[in-house]
Amino acid sequence: MRHMKILRSLAVSIASMAIAQASLADVPMKAWGKPSLQGNWDFRTVTPFQRPAAFADKEFLTADEVEDYEAAVRAGREARATAEFDGEFDQRDLDVGYNTFYLDQGTTMTTTMRTSQLIYPENGRMPGMTDRGREAAAYYRALQRRSPQGPEDRNLYDRCILGFNAGPPMRSGAYNNMMKLIQTEDHIVIQTEMVNDHRVIPTSGGEALPDDVRQWKGNSIGQWDGDTFVVTTTNFTHLSRFNGTGENMTLTERFTRLDEDRLQYEWTVDDAEMFDDRFTAIVEMQLTDADLFEYACHEANYAMPLMLSGARKQDAAGEEDDTWLPSWSR
Amino acid sequence: MNVTIRSTGIKRLKATQRGESNPQMFIAIILGVVAILGAMFFFLLAPEQSTEMDRVSDATAVSTTPAAVVESAAQDISGIWQALGSAAWNLEGHAASKMPVTGVIGAHGGIPAGTSVVVGGEIPYQPSALAQRDTNRADWVNLDPAAKCYIPGIPRLTYMPAPLQILQTDSEIFIAYEWGGNSRSIFMERPGSSAPLPSWMGYSLGRWEGNTLVVDVTSQMPDTWFDASGNYHSGSVHVEERYTPMGENHIQYEATITDEEVFSRPWTISMPLYRRLEENARILEYKCVELAEDLLYDHLRRGYDGPRNLDGSTRESAGSLVENPADQ
Repeated sequence: MRHMKILRSLAVSIASMAIAQASLADVPMKAWGKPSLQGNWDFRTVTPFQRPAAFADKEFLTADEVEDYEAAVRAGREARATAEFDGEFDQRDLDVGYNTFYLDQGTTMTTTMRTSQLIYPENGRMPGMTDRGREAAAYYRALQRRSPQGPEDRNLYDRCILGFNAGPPMRSGAYNNMMKLIQTEDHIVIQTEMVNDHRVIPTSGGEALPDDVRQWKGNSIGQWDGDTFVVTTTNFTHLSRFNGTGENMTLTERFTRLDEDRLQYEWTVDDAEMFDDRFTAIVEMQLTDADLFEYACHEANYAMPLMLSGARKQDAAGEEDDTWLPSWSR
Repeated sequence: MNVTIRSTGIKRLKATQRGESNPQMFIAIILGVVAILGAMFFFLLAPEQSTEMDRVSDATAVSTTPAAVVESAAQDISGIWQALGSAAWNLEGHAASKMPVTGVIGAHGGIPAGTSVVVGGEIPYQPSALAQRDTNRADWVNLDPAAKCYIPGIPRLTYMPAPLQILQTDSEIFIAYEWGGNSRSIFMERPGSSAPLPSWMGYSLGRWEGNTLVVDVTSQMPDTWFDASGNYHSGSVHVEERYTPMGENHIQYEATITDEEVFSRPWTISMPLYRRLEENARILEYKCVELAEDLLYDHLRRGYDGPRNLDGSTRESAGSLVENPADQ
């Protein structure tokens, strides 16, 4: 009996090795023996970031359920695009200044078959915030709602300093959900289409920056963990707020080539100052032949002078209201 | 919609064209490594072999090494580089001068003198275009796109006062510029292709001529300048860059500018790029947007009452740099 168990476990091990070998054979390799991560990667997905209440404790979907979900998303968009709006100040058909012509959020769920991008906490929902986290969030929310006194009142996305889906970490958003990876033996570059930005990351560690040297995208240090490239980023500014994170966030990103067409992107945020727990997400990006466009955000930032001009007009008239701001800014 | 645009006019690349290897290549590499180790083993165990023998073995190694391998070993300009000098201020020879901020920060606000990096000394403007250059120069603080942190384009980004990092792969050479967090891909496997639309950085196609990387840059926006002295171009500009290694730590950088709308003939700039040798050399962030916001938006701040000195006092004599649309 004991021999049978050993034989069975040996058979399972050999089978597992065969599967691993088969999937490794699908992964393009670099000449120096590491998986190739190079290429342009599309991270559009309709998989919700947090698990919707409708899925409750359900972590994975079946293929049929994925199809149903995607169809529902498409139907929802269509209904919104063709809806008739009334009301003098109704912005819904042009909310955030865009309609479906411009939005490019994808039509499919990520291939993880998961009900959410978040995989930790286990319920697929963001962890609670600390008192400090809530206080900071309230401060920045109020800043967004008030008539801007200067460009610094607006968030980094309005100022074209960071891209709203470019992170770090990258997360599917309204449009330009593209990332290029350039890979040499010594460095990997992450170039995001949104807002035309890059990180050059050494593959064999790198030098930590002094604590008082802060960067909008932090300081990224990379290393290989087997066939997974792991990037650890610290030294963010206090304004580099990802979903409410603060300057002391540690971001860990893990890039794993799954096969010819897919790259698994897993990231974890540790920020005990702002959140009660860490949180982790996974998406599977798709290789694409499409090129990245140059997203010259600042060069065409007509919104900033218009917002400030509007605010000054209101000042002159002794008024202040936020009806002129897009809904996501209020 | 974007998907349709993306797939139009852009050559598709196969995975194998992206510098990725297949299993057969892997085996070939392993066999190659075994052969090299075998050769090393032989020579390390036979150090008493004659000098003549060493010479013969070296000659044999060179003659039997495929030409492509020798060439690719030399075709390497990767690393962190930076131009010195003051070409970013003025490509032509110039004496030191004041910036408008010398009244606030003294000698820190001076423009350093520089010798011309233009081959022949002067840029060959057409007469009418020279008048535009002079107009630009007279109001450069307000008009220079780089002062506003707009993408400086090529060749200007090469000699902005910040390092750049070159990363080489088979399918493309990527340059990450510290200044403004800009970058570009130089496509090495797309001869004859063109950009789907103009951009600030243009469209770069590269090829090797011996050890020189030659890059054709087209489809640049007409909005960039060559320096802070009003030297400019049209949307028809074609830039041919040449990066030639001059040793371990220098690259000779040349850029030939052809633009029949502005210049009477093609002209060339030439300057060395120096390798940043510090052990901890790296590209840091210089996100210039926040540094340009005062210039662009100061007049739109609440309570704006004119330019100010660093101590907060009003500089009444300076006047507003930019007209306030809220006043119109």
